[in-house]
Amino acid sequence: MTNSSSNSILLIGESDVGKTHYGAQLLKRLMVSDGEVKMNGAATNLKPFEAALENLTEGVAAEHTPTSSYLDSIWPITNRAGLHAQLVWPDYGGEQIRTMFESRRVSDAWRERILQAQAWMLFVRLQRIHRTEDILSRPLADLKNPKVAPAPTLEAVKLSDQSRLVELMQMLLYVRKADTYRRLRTPRLVLLLTCWDELDTARSPTDTLHEFLPMLSDFVAATWESPLVMGLSALGRSLQPKRPDPDYIARGPENFGYVVLPDGLRSEDLTLPLKMTLSDLSHAI
Amino acid sequence: MNSCSRATCYAPDTGCSLGFLDRSKCPSWSGAELSGTEDTSRVDDVLMPWSARALGLVDAGFVAGRGKPFVVGIVGPENAGKTTLLASWFLLLSRGLASKIDRRFAGSYSFEGWETVAGTMRYHPGYLPQFPPHTSSKEGRAPGLLHLAFRHDADPVRSYLFADAPGEWFKKWAVDSQGPESAGAAWIAQHADLFLLTADRDALAGEHRGAARGTLQLIAKRLMSERRGRPLALVWTKADVSISKEMETAVRNAVFTMSEVGEFAVSVVGNDQNNGIGAGLLELLQWTLDCKRNTAVLPVVDRGTCDPLFMFGMRR
Repeated sequence: MTNSSSNSILLIGESDVGKTHYGAQLLKRLMVSDGEVKMNGAATNLKPFEAALENLTEGVAAEHTPTSSYLDSIWPITNRAGLHAQLVWPDYGGEQIRTMFESRRVSDAWRERILQAQAWMLFVRLQRIHRTEDILSRPLADLKNPKVAPAPTLEAVKLSDQSRLVELMQMLLYVRKADTYRRLRTPRLVLLLTCWDELDTARSPTDTLHEFLPMLSDFVAATWESPLVMGLSALGRSLQPKRPDPDYIARGPENFGYVVLPDGLRSEDLTLPLKMTLSDLSHAI
Repeated sequence: MNSCSRATCYAPDTGCSLGFLDRSKCPSWSGAELSGTEDTSRVDDVLMPWSARALGLVDAGFVAGRGKPFVVGIVGPENAGKTTLLASWFLLLSRGLASKIDRRFAGSYSFEGWETVAGTMRYHPGYLPQFPPHTSSKEGRAPGLLHLAFRHDADPVRSYLFADAPGEWFKKWAVDSQGPESAGAAWIAQHADLFLLTADRDALAGEHRGAARGTLQLIAKRLMSERRGRPLALVWTKADVSISKEMETAVRNAVFTMSEVGEFAVSVVGNDQNNGIGAGLLELLQWTLDCKRNTAVLPVVDRGTCDPLFMFGMRR
């Protein structure tokens, strides 16, 4: 049986990683009736995405999605093979993820989403990842007599970005009751490295993930049998909130944006991450 | 208020230690839910059963649920670099270097604990890195345990608990293993699956090198009597510091009276200043992760019977 609720794809990402921009760009492409993946019925609560799309049409970046947008947006989709699924956007602002992590609590609503999803799509914006050197990677010339003030006393330990992301995945896996004794097949994991244009790299997404977040990359490879890592530039370039981009106004947002496939090839088809996930899910059925 | 009959479960303040997401389904839950004054919207929330800090004996139960984790006891006097060794390993793993020892990092339930020890060795804006502060010597029955999990190829995940104990504990334990202040070190001696005995070359070359040698010899002697065949390695820390031949021989003589002892020299200072991985750290981690627990050895069957009841003979 291929009913849509049994094939839900959960979109997860902290704030300001570009989820709403991707949603807005996807929305237009999914409405095209001859696309390989298309919208199949009425989506719920498209307001934030439509507002973002309006901004993009005018060549400006969408405003930050307010925290109060706590309603799910659920998009029924289907591929050419007739597989129905639903895209679940639970938290466009991304604050719920932060709250979940800080309070170490997962709400009932999130628990249901985590349990039901057959695929998790995690958005990570590598340009925002804070990478620090340490005493091993950049040794001090004189270890015994450092000439500047000592390291600050860390009153509240702040996890490094990659520890935080691994911990978040562990929390989701715990709620899912996933047994990671052996590597996982379900839920499928898709890592979308967003704002790819900011990185200015010719390397493959997998290599780039390893360069920026080596421990997360290791954890994902150790935990999932075949995780999918892709690059995504939903807008194709940076847009400003106030200064409109003339190219965007002239050509329309639908002509911008690209994804980078696991092998490093680029495609302008922003629905590819969905196509590949659906194809994996159909094999799993 | 504790509404669970299990002494090792702190629900509802934490998640159910038996892993029930809906605690009303747990047989040990007494059923008392939150009173009306509390935030009822959060009653159904799932709480994580681990805090991400260094694990205590109660939390260790969560990690051990899947299988007994391998406990690594790092033994040695204070300021010997035990915590620095742990912090260095975490920094190397943070840089994805588990692949160099044929492993993949498969998670940790004590990230905050790791970041606390490793954080000081990172560069922060306006500050230079430092070695981790002295591990405080509060009286305790057990050390803080730092968890790591690794996977080799597609094998099952293997969990490790690294005991981060203050050096004072071992000093007291070496003198009196049954004393009230030796409980924490005695816990390590009883439960560790392998031992790393740290010999601090800086102390063995310093002003009080005689005392440092004496302490190390005492600890080695105690370890010898409590080792029970478990894997052991002598780890020269701060290996970039040179010590006299006589001193090196004296320490070796104290340790190598035991059989099958590994020997490693580690330092955060690499052989080549820019190699970025220190010296000997990954080799020691690989040896540690490769160690296997002693298993029970069944007696050889030399009877001609196929009946399992009489396979090992009869008492006459």
